[in-house]
Amino acid sequence: MIEVRNLWHIYEGRKIALRDVSLAFENEIVALVGPNGSGKTTLAKHLNGLLKPTKGEVIVDGLNTREHSVAELSRIVGYVFQNPENMFFEENVFKEVAFGPKNLGLSEEEIEERVKWVLKQVNLEGYEERHPYGLSGGEKQRLAIACILAMNPKYLILDEPTTGLDEKSAESVKTVIKKLYREGHGILLITHEMELVLELAERVVLLYEGQKLFDGSVGEFFALNLRDYYLDKPEILKISENLNLGFIRSVGDFLTKLEELL
Amino acid sequence: MMYNFYVERDSILHRLDPRVKIIASILGIASMILFNSPTMLFLLFVSISLSLAFLGKITFREQLRVLKPLFPLMIITIAIWPFILEPASFGLFIGFGYALRLASMAMITFGLLITTSQRELILGFIKLKMPYEIGLTLTIALRYIPTLFGLAQKITDAQKSRGLELEKGSFLTRLKNTIPILIPLIISAIKTAHELSIALESRAFGANKRRTFLYTIKMKSRDYFALIVVLFLFGLALYLRYQLNIGYIKLY
Ligand SMILES: Nc1ncnc2c1ncn2[C@@H]1O[C@H](COP(=O)(O)OP(=O)(O)OP(=O)(O)O)[C@@H](O)[C@H]1O
Ligand SMILES: [Mg+2]
Repeated sequence: MIEVRNLWHIYEGRKIALRDVSLAFENEIVALVGPNGSGKTTLAKHLNGLLKPTKGEVIVDGLNTREHSVAELSRIVGYVFQNPENMFFEENVFKEVAFGPKNLGLSEEEIEERVKWVLKQVNLEGYEERHPYGLSGGEKQRLAIACILAMNPKYLILDEPTTGLDEKSAESVKTVIKKLYREGHGILLITHEMELVLELAERVVLLYEGQKLFDGSVGEFFALNLRDYYLDKPEILKISENLNLGFIRSVGDFLTKLEELL
Repeated sequence: MMYNFYVERDSILHRLDPRVKIIASILGIASMILFNSPTMLFLLFVSISLSLAFLGKITFREQLRVLKPLFPLMIITIAIWPFILEPASFGLFIGFGYALRLASMAMITFGLLITTSQRELILGFIKLKMPYEIGLTLTIALRYIPTLFGLAQKITDAQKSRGLELEKGSFLTRLKNTIPILIPLIISAIKTAHELSIALESRAFGANKRRTFLYTIKMKSRDYFALIVVLFLFGLALYLRYQLNIGYIKLY
């Protein structure tokens, strides 16, 4: 379980980025939403120890992040950063994915096995010899997830995993996220895209100016007046509500309900 | 992370003509090279720091924040000189001086950037008869440093999350460990440079030799006064160094 207890974060230069945030999650998909600058990335960086609390505590499967290094914590919490290119430096996909396991000190065979396994997880089998910078947007994002999965973490933090991707690429990333969730990973999904929240998340946490203003189910979340937080409902949900079809999670849901109605 | 050095404030240095500030910075850096005596360099460092604080309203806290990234380099400087000069204590003393020289030069550059907006800076360079292209390139380069720092920080975080440990191992291992950070950084920098050149071209940069400027700057009497003070101080530095032989130690 990841437990955040009364967490405060104050940046150098005295910017208060988190105010008394508490939160706990296990194996679920939690969407972390909020306008720009609300503290989402700051909160996420606390979960694998990249930032240490100014006040309060973060406990990851019993480990206090104050007492453990990022390298240690990254075996439990994997953090996939927003811009995948920021992490690619090897000449092919195999070496890129192998970097993490190498840092963990695994043997050659173990590394090979693990790379094969994670590439399968993110549907990139057969890409071993490709150049990371030559991949498409969706493939890059999935490679980034693979690089982190290779550390075999129980929890995954995904920062804006579908931003800037076309429909098809985003779909391929979503498929991977759903699969990882089914396999028992706890996933924290940072996003601005309400469609993504609607489709993937069970639970939503809303940050606003560093404070946790809401923590509850997706259904309850979309019943809030989101305009107050500079967020907006997905179009498909608006249409569904206008037609009195009630709460839906996807276009598929929508069509089923529409059929029932007709 | 600061993405732009310039901070709007009401101070004497902020109001000064950019040309005077540019000249003062160049002469300031030049006088750092004139002297090598640690005592002298210390006095210069203190006076720069005090001028920035009182004339530029840049707090000591802010000054420290700029110097922080330079600490490793300063420490290396201090550590190396005892191996070069005999006795070691004398080397250490000289090393200190050189570290202070480095810090002073950074502070002068920083002082110029934090008190002068980008627009004024470019104008200043041009009015000093520097070609527009050089003025612009220089300004963009300076402006890009903080962005690059921010990017380096992001990449470092990403690689640490893959188990990269920067603080561990021998000097050689540490050097090798910077590769996963340097490569993405360089690629990203090249990409940005390329995008920037397209942006400039698409705005017809370089199409016309004679440029029109929307804003202009004019020297006021206080700017002339400041310029005279700057020139006087530099003259004084030359006099101390070459007539009185103060502030220079023969090392070998
Ligand atoms: N290194 C830093 N130093 C100082 N202030 C920072 C730093 N990083 C972030 N901040 C500030 O802390 C606040 C929260 O930033 P954070 O990046 O966590 O927001 P976010 O919710 O992730 O925003 P976005 O949606 O834009 O990614 C912002 O006001 C930001 O300016
Ligand atoms: Mg963010």
